[in-house]
Amino acid sequence: MDKNYHIFSDGRIERSEDTVRLETEDGEKKHIPVEHAEAVYLHGQVNYNTRLMSFLNDHGVAVHVFGWNDRYAGSLMPERGQTSGRTVVEQVRAYDDPEHRQRIASAFVRGSIHNMRTNVTYYDSREYELDGVLDDLDAAATRVGDAEDISQLMGVEASARRAYYRTFDAVLPDSFSFDRREYNPPPNPVNALISFGNSLVYANCVSAIRATALDPAVSYLHEPGERRYSLSLDIADLFKPVLADRLLFRLVNRKQISRDDFREELDSCLLDEGGRETFLKEFEETLERTVEHPELNRKVSYQYLLRLEAYKLKKHLLTGESYDPFRRWW
Amino acid sequence: MYVIVVYDMEADRTHRMLTLCRRYLIHVQNSVLEGEISEGDLATLKGEIEDLLQTGESVVVYELSSDSLLNRAVYGEDPAEDSRFL
Repeated sequence: MDKNYHIFSDGRIERSEDTVRLETEDGEKKHIPVEHAEAVYLHGQVNYNTRLMSFLNDHGVAVHVFGWNDRYAGSLMPERGQTSGRTVVEQVRAYDDPEHRQRIASAFVRGSIHNMRTNVTYYDSREYELDGVLDDLDAAATRVGDAEDISQLMGVEASARRAYYRTFDAVLPDSFSFDRREYNPPPNPVNALISFGNSLVYANCVSAIRATALDPAVSYLHEPGERRYSLSLDIADLFKPVLADRLLFRLVNRKQISRDDFREELDSCLLDEGGRETFLKEFEETLERTVEHPELNRKVSYQYLLRLEAYKLKKHLLTGESYDPFRRWW
Repeated sequence: MYVIVVYDMEADRTHRMLTLCRRYLIHVQNSVLEGEISEGDLATLKGEIEDLLQTGESVVVYELSSDSLLNRAVYGEDPAEDSRFL
């Protein structure tokens, strides 16, 4: 599986000698092995030109840009290698059929709740008392089938997530109090970590969807909106507990990230560069971690699970084979 | 798999091998590159290496089935450290 490269320095990236070269502002030159790159993440102020864009396009490498306040600012996607009118037609048809859309959206919610639940169970079996959260999640799970439309389903998802977020204050040390989920901008370190983690999961899902012929803007649970790749939001929800939240707990509880790793301003709080780097290093390691896949009978990386999810959805749309959302099985 | 590539080229041609290998691997020292590579990419790279070589020049490719089999000790600065975070 190809790797993600992260650029924190300010400078410019260009095509040089058939690969990608970064020249930092202090004149240092570094190379990215282009044949080995899945995507390049730009966190610093980086210049590039059209020659680089077409070169990355030829190699199928995406660029994800993170702007001011670590906010995901957008992606430069390679021209799709996969085009299939039929897939897009089926994808839109399923969206347009309220009953079919509801089925797919329910699957996303069921999967998300399951994956939140496995995190809670894990910490519940350690010294934390999280019975109440488990009950609330179970209650939400049973309400998924009763939801009459997408907005009710969204409500179920929201109440599950609210319950789930109660785990954060219980599991994290007192110096990291969570209170409640807020963003734009995140007011405290825990919210900053959640936002950063979620945006990374989201960007990785964009890459995964792009590997199929699915249109990332046509979604089922989230309303297809302007500007956003909402299918990526649908799929990212399944993976946030596995890829981002567990990592957050681990980094804070093992003190790999401390309060000093944040820049606090008036009413916002963000990871500083060192903190982002620590988080990303562990995040990338998580993506590379492998698990035995019961159906494929081989080991697959967490990153590949994202791609499998896109393949599964595509297969469901084209062949009608039932879509079972990703549920952590280990 | 994990590979280490070392090469010996005519002085004015070394750059061509470096350019080629840099597309796949990390440059760690003069005439030495290493890194994780897929079997397919390795086959392609080997073909390209062969095409580039002239008489009197040589390239040695060391292959390990995974980087966990490699004991890698570095003294001084590690050029390959965190090559994914620039």
